[in-house]
Amino acid sequence: MRNAQDIVDQIGSLPPLPSTAIKLMNVLGDPQSSVAHIVDAIKYDQAITTQVLRLCNSAYFGLSRKVTSLDDAMVCLGTIKVLQLVMSVHTSSALSKEQHGYGLDPGVLWKHSVAVALASAVFAQKTNLANANLVFTAGLLHDIGKVVLNQYVADEFVEIVRRVSDEGLAFCEAEQQVLGFSHEEIGGMIGRTWQLPEPIVLCIQHHHVPSALETPDPLVDVVYLADCVCLLFGIGLGEDGLSYRADSAVMDRCDLRESDLESVGLTVLDELKRVEQLFATTPSAACKQPAVH
Amino acid sequence: MNVVVDIADYAVTAEAGASLITYSLGSCIGMTIWDPQAQVGGMIHYMLPESSLSPAKAKASPAMFADSGVPIMFRAAYKLGAEKKRMIVKVAGGSQLLDDKGTFNIGKRNYVMLRKIFWKNGILIDAEDVGGSVSRTMRMDVNTGRVTIKNRDGEREL
Repeated sequence: MRNAQDIVDQIGSLPPLPSTAIKLMNVLGDPQSSVAHIVDAIKYDQAITTQVLRLCNSAYFGLSRKVTSLDDAMVCLGTIKVLQLVMSVHTSSALSKEQHGYGLDPGVLWKHSVAVALASAVFAQKTNLANANLVFTAGLLHDIGKVVLNQYVADEFVEIVRRVSDEGLAFCEAEQQVLGFSHEEIGGMIGRTWQLPEPIVLCIQHHHVPSALETPDPLVDVVYLADCVCLLFGIGLGEDGLSYRADSAVMDRCDLRESDLESVGLTVLDELKRVEQLFATTPSAACKQPAVH
Repeated sequence: MNVVVDIADYAVTAEAGASLITYSLGSCIGMTIWDPQAQVGGMIHYMLPESSLSPAKAKASPAMFADSGVPIMFRAAYKLGAEKKRMIVKVAGGSQLLDDKGTFNIGKRNYVMLRKIFWKNGILIDAEDVGGSVSRTMRMDVNTGRVTIKNRDGEREL
């Protein structure tokens, strides 16, 4: 536990998300906000506006005319698509670095995060989730705690894996025992430090054991399922592998079957390839190389 | 030459010195075939047992599913001179979440489907490293037929 204070200190020194991203998340979390509010949250950030317009005009979307403003982009592509782009661009630099403690090569955590975000959006649609705007971002950020815990996991890797193998612990339970924190707990603390909307913090904090929440939360359930699908299909898998607990109650709550997980997996794989191409062919994007794990 | 076999893909080769490699096997199955006499090797990384889930996707990427991908890989190896009776078959993957109720059992079903296909066709598995909850990387040297599996505990020959 000697590391516990160190770890908490690290949270403070993590480069914060751009203020536009935080502002945008808060606008999205507010059911009263309109497209105009969303455009307002982004338009003063020249860098992000330029990047979004460049992405919108890439061959990926195949638009017949040039998109010249954010309003225009939202009309052509739809608000959700544009927001997903904005958040993907914003998180790529925080999530693209190698996380050697988890055996994640450069770009792999971002690939996993985008895949979970895409899968979360698909599950949100399948389960008619009301607050679908936030779910993509929650999926993107669910593993943000790994960025801080990485070095500590690297130092104690042998002991963590021993507890997983010999004692049948989930990887996050072993993190908690050995380091004093699991990556979800640290992620939740990062979320609060960054003042993310509470529903997103809840998703980050409980994405491995959603049924531990006193009142089940549909947003958390969706992010949990999205993560499961990506782990099962090995999308951006690290050395923690599939060593997390299956929470079958989530399937009942969401009224889903295993075949639903399978078809979401197939959809996400297709979508992810497209997103990787988009970012690989857009020089401005922080993640230039799609993850070749 | 290193040939990377992506998820939902397969490769066969008779090229001397080639290595086949696939990364990040979770509940998916990685399977290699090798004919020592013809010096032909193959590898598949399939995601799901049955193509009935999406016939359209199975048509576009047969290696996504065991029942559509495995026969295609064997046929591709035969075209390069491999023969079924000489084939050495190794299997890895099929990992699971820590599951008390068997809810997310894609890994297990992936493996069972392979056993079914092999049983019908009289093919034996020579070595396997299946199940558990680790991520695996599978590699085969086509010259020697040597297959290695790497996971968080290290790398070992299969």
